[in-house]
Formats: sequence, C-alpha cells, structure tokens
Amino acid sequence: MLQRVSMWRDNNGKGERIRMTQTVIDTANHIAAYAAKAARVQVIAAYPITPQTSIVEKIAELVENGEFDAEYIRVESEHSAMAACIGAAATGVRTFTATASHGLVLMHEPLHWASGSRLPIVMPVANRALGPGWNIWADYTDSMSQRDTGWIQFYCADNQEVFDTIIQAYKLCENERVLLPAMVCLEAFILTHTYMPVKIFDPSEIDDFLPPYKPKWFLDTNNPLSHGNIVSPEWYMEFRYMMQESMENAKRLIPEIDKEFCKHFGFEHGGLIDYYKCEDADLILLTMGTIGSEAKVAVDNLRKEGLKVGSARIRVFRPFPIEEIRKLAENAQMFAVIDRGISFGMEGFIAEEIKASLYGQKDQPLLAGFIAGLGGRDVTFKTIEKIAKKSVEWMRRGKIEKETVWIDLRE
Amino acid sequence: MVVVPKTRKEMPVTTLSVPTIGSAGKTGFWRDYRPVRVELVSSCTHDCPANNRLPQIFEKIRDGKLEEAAEILLETNPFPSITGRVCPHFCEQHCNRVEYDEAISIRAIERFLGDFILEKKAESGFHKISTEKGKKVAIIGSGPSGLSAAYYLRKMGYGVTIYESEEKLGGMLTYGIPPYRLPRRVVKKEIAALSKMGIDFKTGKPINDKVVFEDIQKKFDAVLLAIGAWKEKGIGIPGEEFMIAGLEFLKEVNEGLKKAPGNVVAVVGGGNASVDVARVLKRLGAKPIVLYRRTRNEMPAIGEEITKAKEDGIEFRFLTQPVAASKKDGTIMLQCVKMRLGEPDASGRRRPVPIEGSNFTLEFDAAIKAIGEEPEIGWIPRKFINEQGWIEADLATGVVGENIFAAGDLVLGPSTVVEAIATGRRAAWSIDRYLGKAEIRSDVQLAEPVKIEGINLQYYELKERSKVFELSPEERTRSLDKEETLGINLEEVKSEAHRCFSCGYCRACGVCWIFCPDASIDLKDDGKPEFDYDYCKGCGICSNECPCGVIIMERERE
Repeated sequence: MLQRVSMWRDNNGKGERIRMTQTVIDTANHIAAYAAKAARVQVIAAYPITPQTSIVEKIAELVENGEFDAEYIRVESEHSAMAACIGAAATGVRTFTATASHGLVLMHEPLHWASGSRLPIVMPVANRALGPGWNIWADYTDSMSQRDTGWIQFYCADNQEVFDTIIQAYKLCENERVLLPAMVCLEAFILTHTYMPVKIFDPSEIDDFLPPYKPKWFLDTNNPLSHGNIVSPEWYMEFRYMMQESMENAKRLIPEIDKEFCKHFGFEHGGLIDYYKCEDADLILLTMGTIGSEAKVAVDNLRKEGLKVGSARIRVFRPFPIEEIRKLAENAQMFAVIDRGISFGMEGFIAEEIKASLYGQKDQPLLAGFIAGLGGRDVTFKTIEKIAKKSVEWMRRGKIEKETVWIDLRE
Repeated sequence: MVVVPKTRKEMPVTTLSVPTIGSAGKTGFWRDYRPVRVELVSSCTHDCPANNRLPQIFEKIRDGKLEEAAEILLETNPFPSITGRVCPHFCEQHCNRVEYDEAISIRAIERFLGDFILEKKAESGFHKISTEKGKKVAIIGSGPSGLSAAYYLRKMGYGVTIYESEEKLGGMLTYGIPPYRLPRRVVKKEIAALSKMGIDFKTGKPINDKVVFEDIQKKFDAVLLAIGAWKEKGIGIPGEEFMIAGLEFLKEVNEGLKKAPGNVVAVVGGGNASVDVARVLKRLGAKPIVLYRRTRNEMPAIGEEITKAKEDGIEFRFLTQPVAASKKDGTIMLQCVKMRLGEPDASGRRRPVPIEGSNFTLEFDAAIKAIGEEPEIGWIPRKFINEQGWIEADLATGVVGENIFAAGDLVLGPSTVVEAIATGRRAAWSIDRYLGKAEIRSDVQLAEPVKIEGINLQYYELKERSKVFELSPEERTRSLDKEETLGINLEEVKSEAHRCFSCGYCRACGVCWIFCPDASIDLKDDGKPEFDYDYCKGCGICSNECPCGVIIMERERE
C-alpha cells in the first residue's frame, strides 16, 4: 500500500498517535478489505477465487496481525463460505464474504437461504466472466445471473465507491425495514487490481454512521429458536411479499443513506443512478460500473461536437430503479443501453429491465441495446462515442435498425 | 409461549419457531450403526516394556496438571528420572508421529516428570503408603527390578527388606551404567525416597548359599529374586584368561578406580556393556577398539549409544572375531578371523560365518570381553532351575514356585532398565495377589495398538520435536561424570504434549461436538463426548473426523 497523505492526531498531548482518515493509493480489492475492517465486521468466511482473492487475503493479513478483530473462517468452497456466513449472521453478528464468477454461481443455493433468512450479509463480487472458454476478465454475467436471489446489488465505478458502498450496504441491509443481503459488484481487474487514490476511514469514524448490528431475533442458546423451517402454502406467499416490500423500502432508503454518508464523509455516488449531464440530453447512455466512468468522458467529448448526450450510470440493479428510469425517459428522445453481459436468447440484462420499466409509458424514447466488453474486452470512451454516434443517427431518423448491437464483434 | 400469527403484520420477517416438547427429530428405528467412544492402546504404550500410559500422561500435561501426570507415570514406572535418562525409548521408536514428522520427545518428558517427582516428593503423595498389610517380603538384589518391586510392594503396604551383596545400593544403576549417562545423584535421590518409605536395606549381605536362602524363605512371606546377570560369559577361546571381564571393569571404575588397563584396549562384543566399556575407556584417556563379529546392524546395543560412541571417535572393527589370546611382554596378542554374514539365526540376525584362511593378529595393551552376561544361580535350589540351566520363572508374572518370585535380568538375561522395572512391577503385583490369596494372572494383555491410519492427520500441524541438548563429543569425552544429555524445559514439555496424536485416547478436542449435524453429542465435564442415541442418526461424521480415532461405529442390527 502506497501511502500518500496521512492525517495524524495527537492524542491529548500524550504523544500517542492515532491513525485517522488517510488517503491511500491501493487496489479496489484491498480497499474492500479496509472497508470490512472499517465496518467492524465480526465474521468473515471466504474461499479464494481470482480476481477476488486479494480481498480475503488482505483481510486474513489484517486479522492475523491483530489490526482487525474478527473471526476468520477458512472453508473449502464458496458454498460453504456462504453457509458459514449464514450461520454466523444468524447469531446476530456482522458478516462478510467475497467471491467472483464460478464461486458466485456455486453459491447460488445458499444465496437464496441468506435472503430468505433475511440476513444482512454484505459480499463484494469481483465480476468475472464464466467459462468455458475459461476467462478471468470483467463481465457481469456472474452477478446478473443471480439477480433473482433476493440480494440487493450495487455496481461500483471506482475504488472510492467500493469503500463507501460497502459501508452504506451494511447501513442499508441492517435497517429493519430492509433486512436483506447485498452484493457490492466491482469489475475484474479494471477495479479489483487497479490502484487509485482512496480516502479510507477508521472504524472509530464510521461508528456514528454505522452503529453495531442489533437484530430483533438471533440464534441464542439461552433462548433457543430455529429459523428457516418449513412453511405451508398458507404462509409462504406472505414471506415472499415481505421480501418484495423490503426491496421497495431499500429503493427509498438507498438515496437517503447515500446523502447521509455524504454528510459524514464528503462522498456521494448518486443514490440509485449516477446522472451526468442528463437534464437537457436528447440521447442518454445507460451504463453500469466502470463503463459509466468512461461514458462521462465520452459525453464531454460529444458535447464539444454539439451533441446533447448525457450519461446515467445505474448504481443499483436490485432493487431496479424503475421510477427513476421512467422519469429519465420523459425528456429523452433515445436511450442507448450498454450491457457488459447477455441473457442468452433475449438481450442485454439492463436493456431488458429498462424496456420492462417503460412498458405502457407515454412518449417512450427509442431504445437500442449494445453488448460490449464481454470477457474483459476494453470499452473505452472511444467505443462509447461510436455507440453514441450510431444512436444519434438512429435517433435523428426516428427509427432504430437493430434492437441489440454487438460492439467490436469480429466479422 | 408459541404464537401463531394471524395477519401479515404479526409475522416475523422469516420463518422462526421455538422448540416444542415432542418427538420431533428423534431417530426412531432407522439407525443401523451407532458411534461409541472407546479407549484403544497407543503404539507407545504398547511397545513400552513398562506400558507407560503416555497419551493419558500427556493429556494431564496439556491441562497443566503435572502432579496428576506424575501420578499416572508412577503407576507403571517408579523411576522416571532414571529411565528418562537411560531408556532406549522403544516408545519413541514406535511413535506414530515418526511417519508424519518426528517422534514425540517422550524420554525427555519422562525425565522432566521424573526430576519433578524427585523435587516434589517431600510435599507430595507420590510415595504415600496405603494401609499396612502386616506381611513381609524379602527382595534379593537392589538393582532396578528389585527397587521397582520394593516400591510397589511398600506402596501396597507390605514390609520390604532388600538384601544387597555390595556395599552400595542400586546394582547396575550404581555399578554398571556409567555416570555420564546416569548421574549418581539421581540414583541416590531415588533410593533415598525409597528409604523414606520405610524400606529396609541390608547392604554387604550376599545371599549366595542355600542355607541362608532357605532361612530367608521361611522368615518372609514371599521372596523376590532380583539378582541380575553379572557373570561374564566365556568366549571359549584359548588365552581367554588374559582378558578382563567387561562388567568387572565397569564396576571397578564405578567404585572409584578411574584407570584404564592400558592405552590401546580391545573391547570384544557388541552389546550395551561393550559400548559402555569402550566409551568409559575413551573418557579415561585410552584408545578403545571395539571388535564385533557381525556388523553394526546386528549390534544389540542401544542404537543411540553406538552413534554416540562413533561420535566420540571410537573405532569399530566389524566382522572380526578373536579366536585366541596370548600375552607377551605386557602386550595382548589377539589372533582374529574375518567373518562374513550368513543365514539369519534364531534371533533373526544374520549369523557370522568365519572366512577360512583370513586369520590375522592384532596387538593391544589390554583386552576386555563383554559378549554377554548370565546370572549366577549356582546357589538357588535345583527345583527352581530348568533344564537349560535358567531359573524356572514365568516372564509375565515372575512366578517361580512356592513363595519365590523372580524379576529383572535373572529372568530376562541382559536387558534394559525399563524391562527390569517392568518385571519388578509385575512380580510385585503377583506377590500381592499371592499373599492376598487371589489368582495370579498376567497383566500383559494389550490389544493391537492404533496405527497412523487410525489418526485423522488433518488436525495436526507439522512441527519439529523439541531438541534435546547434548554436549559435543570433544566436551563430553573429557569427563566421566559430566552428564552428556540435558533435559527440556516445561514449555518444551508442553509443546511436545500438544504434538502428541493421542492415539486411541480421547483428547477432549470437541471436534465431534462441532461436527455432529444432529447436535446429539454432549461434552461431559472432562470435555469428552457422550452420545444422545435418541437423536443420533448414525451418520458417522464424528467417527470420521475424530483426530485420535476413538469413536468407532458399532453395528446395531443386521
């Protein structure tokens, strides 16, 4: 870790120095580890998988050297990692794990257990393509394919957002109107292994924003109860309805928490959607993750050419910000949706959700889906400019030629 | 209180239930196997002649209960401070950990506990005597087997008188084993402790004729013969009279005559006495040369001692057999023949066969023979002697006949301290049963020991054993009295106890409790499992995981 700026505070003139907020230059994976520490996570159960490994490696190091007071459970698979987290969280402690790609899909079954048990586990997912063909680079198919597990999903655009979102996610998930687990997604290598300056906070500074987790019910040997038991058809639907209610609650709470976080720490990430120059835009680029950061550069360049383009980076995929999307559609002529993932036999995940959100709305904008950057292929501002220009062309003609366009696809 | 909600508002966010009274989760009749905790025999216990219960001792050490560890050790070995120094540690040779990394440093732990007992004996109950039985036992010979029997008999409440032919007590411990291996202060302390127990020692009282013996037999309720094996066997070659007997030499040195019989000295033989003689000679400034008719692999001496002798710079000439000795102008001429190894003999070792025409002559200032010892039993009544000329004694019980029992080298032939101690203890138990009019039976009934396959190695970290500090050959060959091996400290003892696999003995780790998917294991106060068969489904996970192999799955029905 390359330490650039440190702020030190003299403790009551005793000469003891307490490390406070500091700006470090580090990878998003290490930043995720520091976030877990800052959130005073009590139990970590994890299994290594590229490109997530250095998150749990760093945590192991911090726990081992005593900087991070937590129980670190080593397990033999991601399925067990999630199972251990579920067990730990059920006893009422703050729980953390991290995974990626094949590890995440191996977790599929306990993911449902975690959400159904209403346990606020937070899990960074280092988005990586699924094999075969074997590929360790960025792709959203892994977490997108888990969208119906009842987990809240955040997608980050830079390392600072990774740190902040993990803290915010605990705040959100532990809220008794939510009580759902959350994934904090960060793209393989583009974030996980890329160094950026990040302001990280000490646990003592986080405490006010994120008080200790105090669930209403938890496993307690002195007051035995079991959870996750069988439930008859008379009751099952109600439990599922309550989960849906919680997702709706989360949708309201996420922007509030983002604002509150900003008051404490000075960073805001846009709540559900990070808008950029959308107010007067005719064409809006709908993106996610780091493509959203690149889109801002593209927007600036295109605006110089006189094109009224804006960017809306969707930060939360579940719950999906339907209302925000509808509002955004009111003034736009066209949506260009860029997906780093594909639902085979349908189209890009985000395009699909946006279309579903807009169904039945008046004056719908034109919408074209673009599949780009699968398996870690670069999506730079140039790629995005190309997409935008094609979209502007169609927009001017008032008709799209193709619903889904694969970008940079070989002939 | 069980609340069944009626509306959605009353519902918890997820399904919750409180335990109710009833048979939910009970196994019923569908289990075929059930787990049972057993106590098996560890390899170390099995292969220790005294059957020291080492896993049990190490458990107490891990718990920090040194007194209790010492108590368990004393049950089978009264002199751990002695065996902790001189024992060839059969236990370590057969420790399952050898196949994993290195054996537990058992002898060093034994020595630590032995010294702990000697230090603590004043305020402890280690030498406490139970109710006096009002019966008297005579023990002839105060070597390790006699002292061992005396300790157990006295503890059981018998009056014990030991007759010792020499001026000093201890037999081989005092007159045989060299002091650099066993400091005499240790022997003295052990004997002093026995003396405090009220054992009557009569030294300088050789019992070597029938009349005296029969008188003792009448005066005492039982008699234990523990006279050892002191007579040097003859090689059976012309000129043998020019050779000094090995034990005689060691005895003289131990009595204070610290003088080598010459500069270059031949030592004939490959047993412990031979190696002791050679190493003593080296310390007296002489140049010993060991002549042995087979090779190092066949040497009956303790391997560690042979290695140390070599480190000391002692020369070994293998496959060399003296066939005649003569003396000329103070020089001993040994005519030798070269040997080769033939077919294995009764002991399993390859028999040496002379190579014809390979005769050659070696010259020495003196020659010492130490090819083996036998007991002097000429005075023992004929009825107790068998056709082979050995005492007619049962190895497992020490029973000879009438009220006579025997133990130690007299029964075993030249052997080790620990074997002598073991036979002494068994004889004491037999005497107790004999005098209590109970059936005398063997206590050697050990089942097959646990092998490494029975241990779940996943639970043990690779870890080197605690190193025992030894003096360098240069330093140790300068003194006859300076102890060449040092002990280990309490921290190392504990570390070793933690390394122990605890083969076949529950180490109260709680792994079974953690893994039981039906929560049907309870850990008792001692941390060991108890199974609740009402709920156990017989899955066998506890048995599979157990690090010590003490949970077996027992078939309940066909």
